[in-house]
Amino acid sequence: MKKLLSIVIDIVLGAAVAALLERVIAPSLADVQPWMFSWPSIAFIGSASVCWMLLGLVFGASLGRLYIGLEVKEGTARTIATHLGLFALSTFIIGGWIVTDISPIEFLSGEGLQGAGRIFGALLTPEFDVIGEALSAMVVTIFTAFMATVVAVPLSFVLSFPAARNMLGTGLLAKTIYIVLRAILNIMRSMEPIIWAIIFSVWVGIGPFAGMLALVIHTIASLTKQYSEQIEDVNEGPIEAISATGANRLQVLWFAVVPQCVIPFLSFTIYRWDINVRMATIIGFVGGGGIGTLLTQYQGLARYHEVGTLVILITAVVWLLDVVSSRIREALR
Amino acid sequence: MALLSVRDLTHTYPNGFQALKGVSFDVEAGEFLVVIGLSGSGKSTLLRCINRLIEPTSGTITFDSADVTHITSNALRAHRAQIGMIFQHFNLIPRHNVLNNVMYGALGYTPTFASLVGKFSDELHARALDALRVVGIAEKSSVRADTLSGGQQQRVAIARALMQHPRMLLADEPVASLDPSTSHSVMSYLDRINKDMNTTVICNLHFLSLVRQYATRVVALKAGELVFNGSPHEITEEWFATIYGEDAVEVEIR
Ligand SMILES: Nc1ncnc2c1ncn2[C@@H]1O[C@H](COP(=O)(O)OP(=O)(O)OP(=O)(O)O)[C@@H](O)[C@H]1O
Ligand SMILES: [Mg+2]
Repeated sequence: MKKLLSIVIDIVLGAAVAALLERVIAPSLADVQPWMFSWPSIAFIGSASVCWMLLGLVFGASLGRLYIGLEVKEGTARTIATHLGLFALSTFIIGGWIVTDISPIEFLSGEGLQGAGRIFGALLTPEFDVIGEALSAMVVTIFTAFMATVVAVPLSFVLSFPAARNMLGTGLLAKTIYIVLRAILNIMRSMEPIIWAIIFSVWVGIGPFAGMLALVIHTIASLTKQYSEQIEDVNEGPIEAISATGANRLQVLWFAVVPQCVIPFLSFTIYRWDINVRMATIIGFVGGGGIGTLLTQYQGLARYHEVGTLVILITAVVWLLDVVSSRIREALR
Repeated sequence: MALLSVRDLTHTYPNGFQALKGVSFDVEAGEFLVVIGLSGSGKSTLLRCINRLIEPTSGTITFDSADVTHITSNALRAHRAQIGMIFQHFNLIPRHNVLNNVMYGALGYTPTFASLVGKFSDELHARALDALRVVGIAEKSSVRADTLSGGQQQRVAIARALMQHPRMLLADEPVASLDPSTSHSVMSYLDRINKDMNTTVICNLHFLSLVRQYATRVVALKAGELVFNGSPHEITEEWFATIYGEDAVEVEIR
């Protein structure tokens, strides 16, 4: 009997929490209208209370059980913490649901499904007339990525030494350089390449050059970080040994540090090129040239048969590069 | 005048730990000095102060009549170049071949640019091969250094040190990762370099049997202080107990 009471409490609480989320919290988080007494609202509140109850049963700890003093497997504080955690999680899920306009009705409506059928049909019957154009755009994309990698590697290589904690010594100047460099690199890396592409497409005009510059920035930031972390990992022994011969700093770097890093550096670089090809595709959407730009053009014209060809080509190239680059990296190990 | 003179040497690590507490001793040219002491007593710290891989906190180090305690840049590199060093873990450059590893011993005497682009003179090649012959491993000159056995790697490391034409050789537990017979082989090369080439050797060792066989003189460190300075056969049981603690038992290596 008591058990039933605890379940009822959980159901009521669940419904209350869900209603609170839907009516008060979600609308205040984002500019959305609550569903009010519509079917989705009822379904939502109902399923929330059932979930709440099930969670209580599964975890053996719920506010309902706590209230009626039924055995609580964990301590009281943990029960409350668990429920608050679940509360926060459900807040985010429901908030996210509303903010992202998730709509099963549109997803499954007749009209929606028809649209899906149309585009899949078009994508699956690609128009191969564009293959020549597509291939040359693909070559542009691959070389955009390649050139970006080639330009970024020497710069990253040079920057990675001052960006490694163990290379500059313990002086104040050295620490300052390290911190400033790390901060700049972090900011550079936090800005997505697509944003850099927008910047550079205004700066140097739409085209592969803008795309390349965007990738160079991102590649320098990423590679320098990876390189410098590798440098921070080197074995001190050879450094001591080469220093003990009377070698200068540059010689120590070249003969004791670099030999320990070349293989990982190569591996990171190849992987970065692989990533850059994918990024170059995306960057093309905002004016970075190559296959991405071509894709947006055909998409804008709603020529989905041509888009289908491009998608197939992109998928094939990305897959191929993935296989090749991981093979190479394995062989390097 | 002694070749090396250490006076009141102290070293305090950045974390505040005092590893050496006023150590003084002299080393005459041609000696084979062995440093003993428990793990953590400061042996490695002492060797690294001598070739100035680390800077002493106070005291003085005089090498060949020159005060080297706080020298920097060119003077420091010139000082290091006169002193070869070998390590417990050999510290060869992996992936590089044996001959190159040996030639790196001459980096202190090679112009920076020439060395970075890998231009080592024919004379250096010849000298490197000679050095490899001294340690009996010339046939491995084109093999990757990291494919050699421990004993072979240590011999390459000795050849690298010989490349410096060193006035003095520092050896930090050179046989601690080797089996007993390889240990003897490596020690006998050091011994030969000491006797035949008149190179002064300072060597950290753990096994007293090796100490008795090779040392011409012994100093002992205990918690950063010098507690013994004498000939190897003066290390009596009492001294042994003082240096290594009452409960220690001597282990033999043959
Ligand atoms: N970089 C460092 N920072 C702080 N303390 C250190 C550092 N290096 C060594 N020490 C400490 O200094 C003391 C002496 O170290 P050292 O390496 O000279 O001893 P050791 O006699 O060579 O020992 P072992 O026989 O184990 O090689 C040890 O207690 C060690 O913990
Ligand atoms: Mg040591």
